[in-house]
Amino acid sequence: MNRDLSQTNETAEADSEQTYFYNSLTSEVGSAGKIEVARDSVSEPVIRSWCDAMSESNPLYIDQDFANDSKHGGIIAPPAMLQVWTMSGLHLGNQFQRNTEDSPSAGVYQLLDEAGFTGVVATNATYHYNEVIRPGDLISASQKLLDVSEEKTTAIGMGHFVTTETIYSDASGKQVGSMEFRVLKFRPGTGKKSEQSEIKPPRPKPASNSSTDWFWDACNIKELRIQSCNECTNLQHPPAVRCLSCGSVSLDSVIATGKGTLHSWAIAHYPQVPAFDYPLIVGLVELEEGVRLVSNVTNVEPEELEIGMPLEVDWLNVDNEFTLHQFKPVHNENQEAEFENTETGDSNDQTFDSGQNNPETESTQRQVLKLDPDNVQIGDELPISPVPVTTLLIVSTALATRDYQDVHHDPKAAQSKGMPDIFMNILTSAGIVSRWINDWAGPEIDWSSIELRLGAPNHPDDTMTLSGSITEKTQHGSQVSLNIAFLGKNDRGVHVSGNAKILLPENSKGGLK
Amino acid sequence: MNANFSSETAIVGIGATEFSKESGRTPMELAVEACEAALRDAEVDASDVDGIVTFSSEQNFEIEVARNLRIPSLSHFSMIPHGGGAACGTIGQAAAAIFSGSANYVLCYRAFNERSWHRFGSGVQGRHAGAEAFDVTFGWTSPFGLLTPASWVAMFATRYMHLSGATSEDFGRVAVTDRKFAATNPAAFFYERPITLEEHQESRWIVEPLHLLDCCQESDGGQAILVTSLERARDLPNPPAVIASAAQGSTDDQQAMRSYYRDDIARIPEMKLCADQLWKNTGLGPSDIQVANIYDHFTPLFLPQLEEFGFCEKGEAKEFLRDGNIEMDGQLPTNTNGGQLGEAYIHGMNGIAEAVRQIRGTSVNQVENVENALVTAGTSVPTSALILSQDH
Repeated sequence: MNRDLSQTNETAEADSEQTYFYNSLTSEVGSAGKIEVARDSVSEPVIRSWCDAMSESNPLYIDQDFANDSKHGGIIAPPAMLQVWTMSGLHLGNQFQRNTEDSPSAGVYQLLDEAGFTGVVATNATYHYNEVIRPGDLISASQKLLDVSEEKTTAIGMGHFVTTETIYSDASGKQVGSMEFRVLKFRPGTGKKSEQSEIKPPRPKPASNSSTDWFWDACNIKELRIQSCNECTNLQHPPAVRCLSCGSVSLDSVIATGKGTLHSWAIAHYPQVPAFDYPLIVGLVELEEGVRLVSNVTNVEPEELEIGMPLEVDWLNVDNEFTLHQFKPVHNENQEAEFENTETGDSNDQTFDSGQNNPETESTQRQVLKLDPDNVQIGDELPISPVPVTTLLIVSTALATRDYQDVHHDPKAAQSKGMPDIFMNILTSAGIVSRWINDWAGPEIDWSSIELRLGAPNHPDDTMTLSGSITEKTQHGSQVSLNIAFLGKNDRGVHVSGNAKILLPENSKGGLK
Repeated sequence: MNANFSSETAIVGIGATEFSKESGRTPMELAVEACEAALRDAEVDASDVDGIVTFSSEQNFEIEVARNLRIPSLSHFSMIPHGGGAACGTIGQAAAAIFSGSANYVLCYRAFNERSWHRFGSGVQGRHAGAEAFDVTFGWTSPFGLLTPASWVAMFATRYMHLSGATSEDFGRVAVTDRKFAATNPAAFFYERPITLEEHQESRWIVEPLHLLDCCQESDGGQAILVTSLERARDLPNPPAVIASAAQGSTDDQQAMRSYYRDDIARIPEMKLCADQLWKNTGLGPSDIQVANIYDHFTPLFLPQLEEFGFCEKGEAKEFLRDGNIEMDGQLPTNTNGGQLGEAYIHGMNGIAEAVRQIRGTSVNQVENVENALVTAGTSVPTSALILSQDH
């Protein structure tokens, strides 16, 4: 009896310890923190830095003349910057101390950190935009802790979801917007998927020596080179130390066009080596120059493989250590041309290609467009837009959103918190989606809200491909509002999905550019 | 003088360990046991052995095997490169050594635990990305995930299917026939375990287009073969399995397992080179062969071998198989021990031993009136082949 009792007591103690912990986590639920007044008022330089980092070129945010002529009568802040103005800024030495004192969520974060839930990822954010924010406005925020979940098992690890609501107001106390925000505070190393990706070792490095280094060095700058003979113009692969045709020692290399056809293929299923994803398609590619090489074939389903299919080179950066050639099916050029014509009316077929690879070029060449409210239809698709994710993009956007959390700029810190590398913050995901929608819909739309759900993180060297379509169209008088469902995917899965609600400028006010 | 030393030498002893998935012994124990068995079979004393030939990826050094067998001295020893492609080459080099007078009795062996120790089929995933020439060759394939023998062979298989119209079921016919012979061979790992073509088709993918049942099993075991001159062989108890000819071959733009860069990768030119030598050295042709052991580490490359030896036209091996020609009552019963898919994967050495039994008339799946038996070695590497004949 006694023994049974003591066991029961132990269990009860453990239970009560857990209950006590959860009670302390939730003790502040429902309470609001002190009103946080932004340190500085909204200013054009901060707006401009944000636009630079996001590649946002909406003239309403950065072009004084354009903005003066618009219905706003001057520069406005991008709605997606709502959260930026009251971010705590950089406090070297005691980075989060201010938050700890002032917001109920910070207290919860601290409790969770102390209990080992040191990892943090934002999972959901919904922004409502009530009023336009302009330079000179002084924004204040009031945060309320809405919920702390019980311990949940998630792909990224065991953790608690913490949900807050923040109301943003201007100096007069008028609500300009609100944000519902949810983060997962998790215990690093307890995830399923993430654990695998953390320990996922890199691919085998290309074994090389001074006879072949030039090939791999060229790959690292995304050049596919073929060994060539200076005397008889023979091309050969794999490289040798003599011309295999004439015996010459005078060997050089030429840059391949990167175009070829599939000569043969193998789809590996077993054994599975952790560095690769299976089934793994390996192709034998015959380049149009006449030599063959082994490469992965990507962007294709196994059943679509066909000997003779046209392929073009692509590149895979492996852990910032080396770059491998890959091959993908050649895009259907007719489709691209159609896309050009319907979306931009621009017959310059350089635009699409260069934009794919170079975000800077893309932004400078981007056209200012305006949708005709009468012609937009439910089901219309937004142009698919690949966003190359770089370390520079992640860090510059984190700073431009005044988010100094180390997981967005310090790889080692990110790793210690259970992530394989630094990752994009949610303010940037919101900013990039907003920029993409602005690009499509034109500068003078009004933003009502944007709701984002975050999944697979965006790490350096990912490409996030944005796609979306109109799912609702409502009309009140001459005012047309649209709901756009969107998706941003990278190689690991869906990074962001959600809905954006915008109002189109009325037709009578048309005629912008 | 017989310049190509055709029919000057013979295999006089064969010996093997049991074939298993876990021998429970070291590879050295297996090697020595197999060699002892071959010597017993031939009734030759180890002290008479003066030559050893083995081939690469063999972990048991010939000097340590000799030490354990108490072989007092070796006047010929060599290690042929490229693994299973060298199996028949060991017999050829033993014959050459004997014909040249550099040795009298030469042991050829292979012994390993390639299932219970390092799994051979796991390939080169752990291989160091070094600067040495052989390492560098893997730089062209390993970073893309082409890491295993099955994956290297699959690339040839897809192309061969595309050009010849052969199907996965045609590959399956090789596996089914092998397992049928294995089912009646008590020494085979798959003794009494035949498979159907449906089971072949339903077996999981290893590397498309290769199913599990297209791939040989990794095995533990050892096989040894003793070679001497035909003259000495005639004084020994077993009927000599005369080495009518043994040949090696390596051809244009040859690579190890991955000769993907030559004009036609659906052919095996190095095997054609072996075939040409064998036919030329012996004066024989395809119709003179009563039984064969065709290398079958993976089923797909079984087909083009038939074509290179002229048992059928290029691209027509599928019809040859569909007509049942490799079965006991077919034109060319093949892999009567169960092959490497059915008996054991001893890198081709057990196939040579089976050809010896067919010449002696002692196979459990004995073919009638065997005059000449053909054996081929590993494909997609520099390879080798041989013909054993009756002594007349």
